[in-house]
Amino acid sequence: MLEVLDLRHRFGELLALDGVSLTVGDGELVGLVGRNGAGKTTAMRAIMGILAPDAGEVRWQGGPVGEGERLRFGYMPEERGLYAQMRIGEQVAYFARLHGLERQAAARAAEHWLTRLGLGARAQDQLVALSHGNQQRVQLAVALAHDPLLLVLDEPFGGLDPEAVDSLSEVLREQGAGGRSILFSSHQLELVERICRRVVVLDAGRVIAAGTLAELRERLPAQLRVRVGGSTDWASGLAGVKVLGGDEEGVLLRVDPGVDSQAILRAAQAAGPVERFAFESAGLIDLYRRMISRGTAPGPRG
Amino acid sequence: MSRTRTMRLVAAREITERLRGRTTRLVTVITALLVVAGVTLPGLIRESSKPTRIGLVGPAARSLAPALQRGARAADIRLSLTDPTDEAEGRAALRGGRLDVLLRLAAPERTAQVEVEQTLSPTIRALISAIVQQTRLDAVLARAGVPASQVLPALAAAPVAVSALKPAAPEEAARDVAAIAASLLMYLSLTLYGTAVATGVAQEKTSRTAEVLLATVRPGELLAGKVAGIGLTGLGQLAIAAGAGLIANALVQSAKIPASIWALFPSFLAFFLAGFVLYAFALAAAGALVSRQEEVQSVLLPIAMPLILGYLLVFAAVGSPDATWLRVASLLPPLSATLMPARIALGHVAWWEIPLVALLMLGSIVAVARLASRIYAGALLHGGARLGWRAALRLRGR
Repeated sequence: MLEVLDLRHRFGELLALDGVSLTVGDGELVGLVGRNGAGKTTAMRAIMGILAPDAGEVRWQGGPVGEGERLRFGYMPEERGLYAQMRIGEQVAYFARLHGLERQAAARAAEHWLTRLGLGARAQDQLVALSHGNQQRVQLAVALAHDPLLLVLDEPFGGLDPEAVDSLSEVLREQGAGGRSILFSSHQLELVERICRRVVVLDAGRVIAAGTLAELRERLPAQLRVRVGGSTDWASGLAGVKVLGGDEEGVLLRVDPGVDSQAILRAAQAAGPVERFAFESAGLIDLYRRMISRGTAPGPRG
Repeated sequence: MSRTRTMRLVAAREITERLRGRTTRLVTVITALLVVAGVTLPGLIRESSKPTRIGLVGPAARSLAPALQRGARAADIRLSLTDPTDEAEGRAALRGGRLDVLLRLAAPERTAQVEVEQTLSPTIRALISAIVQQTRLDAVLARAGVPASQVLPALAAAPVAVSALKPAAPEEAARDVAAIAASLLMYLSLTLYGTAVATGVAQEKTSRTAEVLLATVRPGELLAGKVAGIGLTGLGQLAIAAGAGLIANALVQSAKIPASIWALFPSFLAFFLAGFVLYAFALAAAGALVSRQEEVQSVLLPIAMPLILGYLLVFAAVGSPDATWLRVASLLPPLSATLMPARIALGHVAWWEIPLVALLMLGSIVAVARLASRIYAGALLHGGARLGWRAALRLRGR
């Protein structure tokens, strides 16, 4: 299990991490979401030991992270970085060897992953000869080839076509099923929703929410659509309920957590025949928007 | 994982990739060709000072042969004399380039007829003139009844014994050449491989490969591996060039490089390695400061300055190898990298200067490597604009 405890880091005037804590269990896929500059990349760099945070701690399986532990971490940085002129087969094997694999094992792993990611025939090609999407696959192979126990992937889906997105999702699920811990960041929230059970939302260097999607929904105001025959203003004045709007579909209500929905139903019935009474299930995008707009000032990195 | 293993891996990648690159192969071939040319050309040029071939036509001319040879020996001129059967054959030989001079003399009293392809060198002209005059005088004396045997020794061209006040040491010229050649080679290879280190570092930084690397590799290991890999590649190239030179020397046997010059090679090698390591660390740190590949040249310049200075001062060293300021400068790194091997070649180094220069060099390598590693570690992941080295030192790396 990866434990990140109260990371704090400042770049000059800029507070990049303001007490970030999160955990990724064994076999768990955790999505790290947040707008640009929220601190996702800085947090991931601190986890990978590339950046020494001002304060806080990163622990792996209950102990501090040393070089030995880091050899079993796999990393895909947001700004992709590989040798342009190097052949991709040798390149993947080289990074696997830097992570401790012996020559032959590294060559086998490189072949396995390039084949798995559909680049088996191109092992002799230089990286520059590949398309952007294929270069990204090589970067993923580099992160995976040494069979890491923890995968830290910064925007792994960025710039991928739908087919590549599917194959990457499949690889990640497979890694999770194999007991690997995976932390990845993404702007594509529908993807995060599809792949992860748990998300961590960062804003302005702070974790503003963390948990399963269901938990997040419970903690946030729900949206309720109610249509009452012949009445539209029955809901105003209900405690913990705000009318967001109304049309021929009825009124849209924002219901604070903890408000008894049955009380709302009773109020609606008192006003007229209830033709529709439905919670609108909020996707991650909705949840995210609501979380971000809920009182958190825009982050210093905007 | 052990540090040496990581460093070996980094160095091995550096070597493999460089050997695969076209530039490296081209540079290797060009260096080898230059060295071979340097070894064989002096021999080929000396070839042209071969004996002057003179064809003697007719009995009167032929009778000049012994006197010509004696005169030539005294004047330190090399002659090769032949006897064409007649004028026509001699002229044909002249035209065909088998003769340089065709000399006809109908009788001793007559004017000597000389034919050449284009010009007659003044020494050969003076020699022929003197010998003909001597033969005439000889004939006149014989007619006057003076026996030739009494006069001839007095008439023979007199050898001149020369003694110099400041005799040149037998290998001084060779030593001057060795000093300049060694420092030129040093300067060129330090520039070439030093730039390769800086460019390589800048590439890893600007391509963001450094971030992937630093997730597992310490900056110091990465830096040391890179310097070692490029250094070994350079050393290999120099070895190939030196080998080609040796083979050429053995085949042509013309350069006549004195044994004492060959004996200088180990010290040249030591200074090359030390100088390379010193400059490479500094240049790697400089390469880490850039934000774009195009900036590499401008950050290299301040570090290249002492290298250029050290090279130019070698010419001063050849002129006045014992000047005090030069002795001091040749002890100080980084100038010592080019100046000291040159002074060693010139043979004006006191024994105690060697351990002193080694100590100063090693000390500055350690200091520069430490400072460079810190700058490198701080600057490598810095994404923004080009950094100053002070700013890089303040950045915290791992």
